[in-house]
Amino acid sequence: MKFEGRYKRNSKTFSELDQLKLAASSVAIVGCGGLGGYIAEEYARIGVGRLVLIDGDRLEVSNLNRQIMATELNLGQWKVEAAQERLQSVNSELRVDIVKGWFEEDRGAELFREVDLVCDGLDSLQARVGLERVCHQMELPLVFASIASWFGQLGVSLPGDHSVARLYGRADKGVESTWGNPVFTPAVLASLSVAEGVKLLVGRQPSLRHAWLQVDLLTMEFERFEIPELQLITKGVMNHG
Amino acid sequence: MRVTVKLFATFRDGRFKVEERDLPDDSRVVDVLLPMNISPEEVAICLVNGRDVNEQHVLNDGDTIALFPPVGGG
Repeated sequence: MKFEGRYKRNSKTFSELDQLKLAASSVAIVGCGGLGGYIAEEYARIGVGRLVLIDGDRLEVSNLNRQIMATELNLGQWKVEAAQERLQSVNSELRVDIVKGWFEEDRGAELFREVDLVCDGLDSLQARVGLERVCHQMELPLVFASIASWFGQLGVSLPGDHSVARLYGRADKGVESTWGNPVFTPAVLASLSVAEGVKLLVGRQPSLRHAWLQVDLLTMEFERFEIPELQLITKGVMNHG
Repeated sequence: MRVTVKLFATFRDGRFKVEERDLPDDSRVVDVLLPMNISPEEVAICLVNGRDVNEQHVLNDGDTIALFPPVGGG
């Protein structure tokens, strides 16, 4: 290891074995904007072995308010390329694979090959529901997260769950289209997402399965809501029938 | 009958966080929404006593209704 002591301050939160498990892990991040950028940054620093970044967008000036990968110098660059450059300078031991294109359901097998965990950084409600379907077909755990204004939602969907379909299946467009997203919301939700994802990678139980966390940074309330399993099964049948 | 209405995220803007409402018997969720100027299409999640329901769900005395707008950004 070139940088001995790199993960010194991860211990004893993470044991040596945990750290080895992280180094052997591959995480796909779907969407590399506000949420996805911070998620990628944190996985690079915590010490996972490989990241797959998927985003079909280029950086633009309106990204500067919140996207950690955006600087005044790289506007116009592919988001995943800018992220790759930054992450390699943070951690050269990390392998960063990039996909300059949008997530599509029929590309799942190709995009998530040899991936252990999928993180949602998407900005579309319906695309999230499709992402859950693909993850479950491929038997992959998904940490989903979404943001708007001061608010966010976060949870874990394991194969057989339908948390995303239930939370995001009803609406077409989120309130972020009118309320926007200031920087603190993606940063907070990304950190929560990584905290849940890392548990899955090292073999701990996630805290937000069959549930979601409703985050309100205006009142600083973090409230957990349950998603009962029976309802999910019914919903799943409806979605596929 | 008396129900408790809890609003989340941007639904609180210009309204409230939690309030009690007196309603005629057999009122539905939609009867709570409309006086608040919230259309059913704006609601992504509606829980009554923690259970997922739609806007036609008939309410009972003592119910707690929780309403969430769609939060979809990334």
